[in-house]
Amino acid sequence: MRAKAHIQGRASSRVLMALVFLFLYAPILLLIVFSFNKGNSNIVWTGFSLDWYKSLFQNRLIMRSVYTTLLVSLLATVIATFAGTFAAIGFYNLRRRQRTVLNTVNNIPMMNADIVTGVAMCLSFVAFFSFWSRFAVWFNGLQNMITLPSRLTLGFGTLLIAHITFNIPYVILSVSPKLRQMDKNLVDAAQDLGCTWMQAFWKVILPEIKPGIASGALTAFTMSVDDFIISYFTAGSSSSTLAMTIYGMTKKRVTPEINAISTLLFITVLLLLVIVNLREVRMERIGRQETPRSRVISRQVTLFFDSPKGKWFRRGAAGILSVSFLATVVLLTSATNAQPVVNVCSWGEYIDEELITQFEEETGILVNYQTAESNETLYSLLKSGAGDYDVIVPSDYMISQLIEEDMLAELDYDSIPNFSLIDSRFKHMSYDPENRYTVPYAWGTVGIIYNTAMVDEPITSWSVMFDPKYAGNVLMFRNSRDAIGIALSYLGYSLNTTDEAELREAFQLLKDAKNRGVYQSFVMDEIFQKLEGGNAAIGAYYAGDYLTMLENNEDLAFVVPEEGSNWFMDAMCVLKDAPHFNEAMAWINFIASTEANLANMDYLWYASPNQEALEEYPAYYEELYEEELDQETYEIIAAPQEVLDRCEAYLVLPPDIRTLYNDLWTELGI
Amino acid sequence: MSKELIRLRNVSMAFDDELVLNNINLYINDKEFLTLLGPSGCGKTTTLRMIGGFATPTSGDVLFDGVRINDVPPHQRQINTVFQKYALFPHLNVFENIAFGLRMQRRPDPADPRKKTKIPEEEIRERVMEMLEIISLKGFENRRPDALSGGQQQRVAIARALVNKPKVLLLDEPLGALDLKLRKDMQIELKRIQQQVGITFIYVTHDQEEALTMSDTIVVMDKGSIQQIGTPEDIYNEPKNAFVADFIGESNIIDGIMVQDKLVQMYGRQFPCLDSGFAGNEPVDVVIRPEDIDIVPLEQGQLTGTVTSVTFKGMQYDIIVDFKGFKWLIQTTDHSPEGTRIGIKIDPDGIHVMKKSQYSGMFGDYSSFSDEYDELDDAGLTSDEEESGDEE
Repeated sequence: MRAKAHIQGRASSRVLMALVFLFLYAPILLLIVFSFNKGNSNIVWTGFSLDWYKSLFQNRLIMRSVYTTLLVSLLATVIATFAGTFAAIGFYNLRRRQRTVLNTVNNIPMMNADIVTGVAMCLSFVAFFSFWSRFAVWFNGLQNMITLPSRLTLGFGTLLIAHITFNIPYVILSVSPKLRQMDKNLVDAAQDLGCTWMQAFWKVILPEIKPGIASGALTAFTMSVDDFIISYFTAGSSSSTLAMTIYGMTKKRVTPEINAISTLLFITVLLLLVIVNLREVRMERIGRQETPRSRVISRQVTLFFDSPKGKWFRRGAAGILSVSFLATVVLLTSATNAQPVVNVCSWGEYIDEELITQFEEETGILVNYQTAESNETLYSLLKSGAGDYDVIVPSDYMISQLIEEDMLAELDYDSIPNFSLIDSRFKHMSYDPENRYTVPYAWGTVGIIYNTAMVDEPITSWSVMFDPKYAGNVLMFRNSRDAIGIALSYLGYSLNTTDEAELREAFQLLKDAKNRGVYQSFVMDEIFQKLEGGNAAIGAYYAGDYLTMLENNEDLAFVVPEEGSNWFMDAMCVLKDAPHFNEAMAWINFIASTEANLANMDYLWYASPNQEALEEYPAYYEELYEEELDQETYEIIAAPQEVLDRCEAYLVLPPDIRTLYNDLWTELGI
Repeated sequence: MSKELIRLRNVSMAFDDELVLNNINLYINDKEFLTLLGPSGCGKTTTLRMIGGFATPTSGDVLFDGVRINDVPPHQRQINTVFQKYALFPHLNVFENIAFGLRMQRRPDPADPRKKTKIPEEEIRERVMEMLEIISLKGFENRRPDALSGGQQQRVAIARALVNKPKVLLLDEPLGALDLKLRKDMQIELKRIQQQVGITFIYVTHDQEEALTMSDTIVVMDKGSIQQIGTPEDIYNEPKNAFVADFIGESNIIDGIMVQDKLVQMYGRQFPCLDSGFAGNEPVDVVIRPEDIDIVPLEQGQLTGTVTSVTFKGMQYDIIVDFKGFKWLIQTTDHSPEGTRIGIKIDPDGIHVMKKSQYSGMFGDYSSFSDEYDELDDAGLTSDEEESGDEE
């Protein structure tokens, strides 16, 4: 009886174990499998291909971030390993109590939430920069010999410092046990036999703790490659690690390209781990037999350190090292770079990347291209000082707010001859009446996207967005302006109303619908996956994005509701004090050209503000795809004037109404 | 003997506020085998480390050949050390371990005396092989330290130090990790090596038997102070105070009064002895070694007592005898069963009288006989950790 129970127990524990592993590895396995999928679906297998890997290696954004990641990880690993090893030795030489305290202090950063570390580092960098700029101005005013850069920005330098900082504890953690295992008398013995401390370090300590150093370095490297959160806060606008790029790409939807890069990342980290473990096993096995020859280089280094000159060299080296480290930091974070650069922040998948390459080749200006999730995210990035961009592409209402807060620079329209090509309908817009700050980028309308297979009536009104009939099948905007705006439109009020009663009525409508379970969720770019996959029937989003979705799901339809809607304009602006103003002008002019607008319009399926491009697009399409662009599609991209007439653009709202929006949004509890 | 080589002059040492060494004065002669003996925490290892250069005295001088060497780092002293648990370099084989010191050495170039040169490889080979011969480990040169037995590692550690031809070899409880049999063999081996190479050995141990076996001079230490310096015979026969008497061998220590020269009173009875130089009726500690007590018929006894326990020890019996509540240890070849009343007799040369000291009354009573043995064993087990660290 008991034996039987025992066997049963064992079997069930096996099942449990299998389940644990299934949960752990099935998602990764799925990701790896679909990275070889021919089609771009993550659900349907359409055949084996390496296309996504190929396109991965052609994607310059990814390749550049791979380069950044490798560079930052390698440098951070080398420096952190060096610093961490000596710190561990320092700890080891302390009294027991101090050592315990320091070890605890060392462990805290590892246990600490990354987000806290990230934010804290970002804050301290920004604080240091403002201190530095005051110092540099004072110092430059004092003399003419050296000109210190007065403006430092987040970038590769700060990213590197952050990575070094969070790597050091891991190195200490893996070196310390090796030191503790070491016979305390070994160093004494070496010194007794004629070694200076430095020689004892090279000849005795180092060979003993080498495995610890190696595994510390590998851990640090893995951590660096893997890190997202801390990088996100410290990389600034000019550098982007692989993890950050992947995150940026997933905002729209998980493409098989992301599967491919994630697979590669997973395999890299897996390999590193395997190497760490194999090393340890091997060290234990063969450690006993072989006779390592002391290496010539280390012996010569030791010899030199031993000489009286070496003593001064040692002190000098320490000095030079710290000075050069400081200089590197200042240089790396300094805004004045040898190669001309322009930092651009836009939205996810909001440019034909060919254009970036083309621009770089034509002008020699390097483009650092970043993305933000929404106007609100962009705004908080700018306010926190973390977003140090030259060119941004905010929407209409955000532009008015930025102008109001004096955050934008006036453009030099003489350097932007292509501005003349902009359709006069899109000049002197309400957000920039004198047209001193902006050059339009793209425009479009908001409407209802729905799955014809899941609804049985033609949809023409916003009413479906509040209809309990579709409970659990509706997707609503996850930002207050658009969500409340839809309710306002439905009620027949202006999108820009400042009447509190109207706003409260709209809010109530939204809230009731939410309480009745109408909304499956509040989304931004997640809507792509949900509607394409048939996980929801109805959602409100941008016309251009509907066409992208249509490629993956033919059942989708789009309508600009009869009550009217929002039509929006995103325009290029330059931030005040942008460090690369001239390069920014060159970029804006390039993007405003007819060719660039055609390419972008084809890529985005958002309407171009360039008159020529808008008119030529159907011909361009026909030439490119050798088929005619049907009028209906064209009108979804570029809404005809009669549709625009019933739509309204967002205007900036007065501060008290903005507060009301925030309060209502909080009350809704998303 | 021969000339003085090392001298410690008024040396004190404190870690934080704790005085670890208290005004040590000591000289060590050339070619001497000197042992620092004491319980854990007595300061013997610290004294050794100070001579080796691993610790610097808080006050006082360390002199080598008449030169003050307080601040000379270890690698510049003509002294080598054999460490507790040997401290062999685990990543090097036996040959490289022994050759380590030679490879570090630089000496004037014979061709150009202003230049320093390494020791040539042939000479290193020759000297290492010679050392391997002395320690009888020929053929082991390619072994790794962890492939050697404890005794073999021990000998490699000695060879590694001796190959540098130091003037002084420091040995820090080198036999502590070995089992009893091996320890006895190594004691003889060490003494032989010392005589063969003819240099000064300074040896640290808490094992009094080891000290008595090997040393020319024993320095007994406790609580950071030197209690007594002398030859093994002096220390055993003429202990200076109750601590030394108890630490070295077994002792019954009894309160007494020195009535006059050569007459001491215990238990109200007077015993003739050989000691003199005390004040009249000065209270003293009287040491009587267990083997110096003869059991005699009751009526002939100077004292009479009751046997409370008997332990067979092979060569002799350990008998505990109660004299008016104070228990003595007597070692004898005669068997006296438990409970019998016996008389004892002590010859004048079996009585050793000491001045009263801070240790009076702390030792020499065998009321808790078995416990005392346990304590001794414990001391041996714990000494390693406590002695080595500077953290206590």
